[in-house]
Amino acid sequence: MKRIESQTVKDKRLGLVLMIPIVLVIFIIMGIPLVRAIYWSFTDKVVGSDAHFIGLKNYMGLFQDKVYWKSLKNTVIYTGGCILAKLLLGLLWAVLLNQDFKGKGFFRTALLIPWALPGMVVAMTWRWMYDSTYGIINSLLLSSGLVEMPVAWLSNPKIVLYSAMIVNIWRGVPFFMFSILGVLQTLDKQVYEAATVDGAGIFKQFWYITLPSISPVLKVTTLLSTIWTFNDFENVWLVTGGGPLYASSVIATYTYDKAFIQNSLGQALSVATSVIPILIVMMLIFSYFNKKEQ
Amino acid sequence: MHSRKKTKAIKMTTTYVILIISLLWTIFPLYWMVKSSFTIDKEMYVARPKLFDIAFTAEHYVDLIVNAKFMVNLGNSLMIAAITTIFGLTVSVFASYAMTRLKYPGRKFFSSTVIISYLLPTAVLFIPMYIFVSKLGLGGTKWAMLVIYPTFVVPYCCYMLRSYFTAIPYALEEAALIDGCTRLQSLRHIIVPIALPGIAVTATFAFTMSWNEYLYAMIMTTSMKEMTATVAISSWKYGDIINWGRIMAGCVVASLPVTIIYIVAQSMLVSGKADGSVK
Repeated sequence: MKRIESQTVKDKRLGLVLMIPIVLVIFIIMGIPLVRAIYWSFTDKVVGSDAHFIGLKNYMGLFQDKVYWKSLKNTVIYTGGCILAKLLLGLLWAVLLNQDFKGKGFFRTALLIPWALPGMVVAMTWRWMYDSTYGIINSLLLSSGLVEMPVAWLSNPKIVLYSAMIVNIWRGVPFFMFSILGVLQTLDKQVYEAATVDGAGIFKQFWYITLPSISPVLKVTTLLSTIWTFNDFENVWLVTGGGPLYASSVIATYTYDKAFIQNSLGQALSVATSVIPILIVMMLIFSYFNKKEQ
Repeated sequence: MHSRKKTKAIKMTTTYVILIISLLWTIFPLYWMVKSSFTIDKEMYVARPKLFDIAFTAEHYVDLIVNAKFMVNLGNSLMIAAITTIFGLTVSVFASYAMTRLKYPGRKFFSSTVIISYLLPTAVLFIPMYIFVSKLGLGGTKWAMLVIYPTFVVPYCCYMLRSYFTAIPYALEEAALIDGCTRLQSLRHIIVPIALPGIAVTATFAFTMSWNEYLYAMIMTTSMKEMTATVAISSWKYGDIINWGRIMAGCVVASLPVTIIYIVAQSMLVSGKADGSVK
C-alpha cells in the first residue's frame, strides 16, 4: 500500500517536471505576446515608440473603416467558398480512391503532392500562371476560343478574390482526401456487400453507411481547415497582395498592411483581435468534436 | 448477373475519367513550374506561351546557385527545420507521456491548452512576436526562428503523439512497472519503440511545417543571407519586375525535399505501420 502511494506521488512530480518545457513554450513564448497583443490593441502603439492607452478608439475606428468590413466580408467568402469546395472534392476523391482498381496507389500519391508543397511555392506558381500577358492560363483560354480577351485574373477587382480561392482549394483538397480516406479504409467491406445484396444502390449506401461512419472525421477536418483558411495569410498575400485596392484583402493581410505598411501596430492588432471571438467559438466546437472522437 | 457486370464497368469508367481529370488539375501547375524553370527568358516572356515547346536551358539553376547564393538560404531552412523538429519531438514525447499516463494536478487544463495553442492564429501573434524577438536581440536573424517555430511545432507534435500514445494498451506498461521499471524506463523501452512509426510520421510533418513556414520568416529577416528558402524566393523581384525563371527554379528546389519526405510518410501511413496501434 505504501509503495503504491509513493508511486502516485512520484508520478505527480514526474508529470509536472515533464510538462515544464511545453509550459514554457506555450505560456511564455506564446502567452505573453498574446496578452500583449490584446493589450496593445487598446493603445496607439507604433513601431519604435511606447504605447499609450486609448480605450476603444481603435475598435471604434474599425466600425467606420470600409476596408475593414470589406476584409471581413472577403474572409468569410474566402473561408466559406474554399471549405465547401475542398470538402466536396476531397470527399469525392476519397470515395473514388477507396475502390479497388489498377493504379490506385499512383493516383493517391500524385493527388497528395499539392499539400506537401510550401504554400509560397504554390502561390508563386499560380501567380505566374495567372499573369495576364505571359501566363499560360490566358494563353490556353485564348487558343481554345473560350475567351476573346485575356482575363485579368489578378487585376480585375471582381474576380481577384476567386483567383486566390482557386489556389487555396488546389492546395487544400488533398488534406480532406487523406483524412477521409484514412477512415474509409478501416470500414468493413462486407457491410457494403450485404447492402448490395439487399438492393441498396450506390447513393443509398453512401448516405446510410459511408456518411455516418466518416462524419466524426469530417467534422474535425472541416473545423481544422476552417480555422487555417480563416487565418490564411501567405496565399492571399503572395497571389494578390490583397489588391487591387483591397479588393481581395482579408483579415490577415489587412493586419499585416496596417502593421508594416501603415506602421500602426495598435490599429493592426485591433483588426486581428476583433476576430478572436469567432475563432474561440470555432476552437470550442473543435475541441468538443475532438474529444468525442477520441 | 450480366447487368451487374455492366454497372461495374460504368462505375470503373466514371472513376477513371474523374481521377484523370483530377490528376491533370493537380499535375498541371507542377508541370508549368518545372517547365518554366528550364525555359530561356526569351521564350518565357512572350504573349501566348506554348504548352509543350521548350527551348531548354539550365541557366536559371546556375543563376540560382551562383548569383542568388540560394544554397545559403537552403542551409538556413535545413538548420532551422532540423533543430526545431528535434527539439519539438523531444519535448513532446515527454509531455505526451505525462498527459496520457501520469496523474498530476492540472492535467486536463494543460491538455486543452495544447489544443488551443495549436489553433492560435499567426495573424494575432506575429506583431507581438516580432517585438518580443527584437527585444531578445535576435531581430533580423535566422536565430529568431528557433525561438518562434516551437510555438507551432510543439503543440502540433503533442497533438499527434498524444493520440498515438493513447492507443497503446496500458497493460503492456503495467507488467514492466510491477517488475520494477521506472516510468522513464518504461517510456524508453516500451512506449517509444511501439510508437516509433507514429513518431517518425510526426517528425516528417513537423519538419515540413518549419520548412514551409513563410509569414514569420518574412517579417523577421531582411538581409538575403539570413532568409529562409521560402522568403528568399519570394523576394526576387524589383518593383514590378519579377524574375520568374529564377523563382520557378527556386520553387522546384525548395519543393523537392518536402515532396520526397511526404511521399515516404504517406506510404507509411497507408501501409498501417504508423497507426499507433498494437496488433
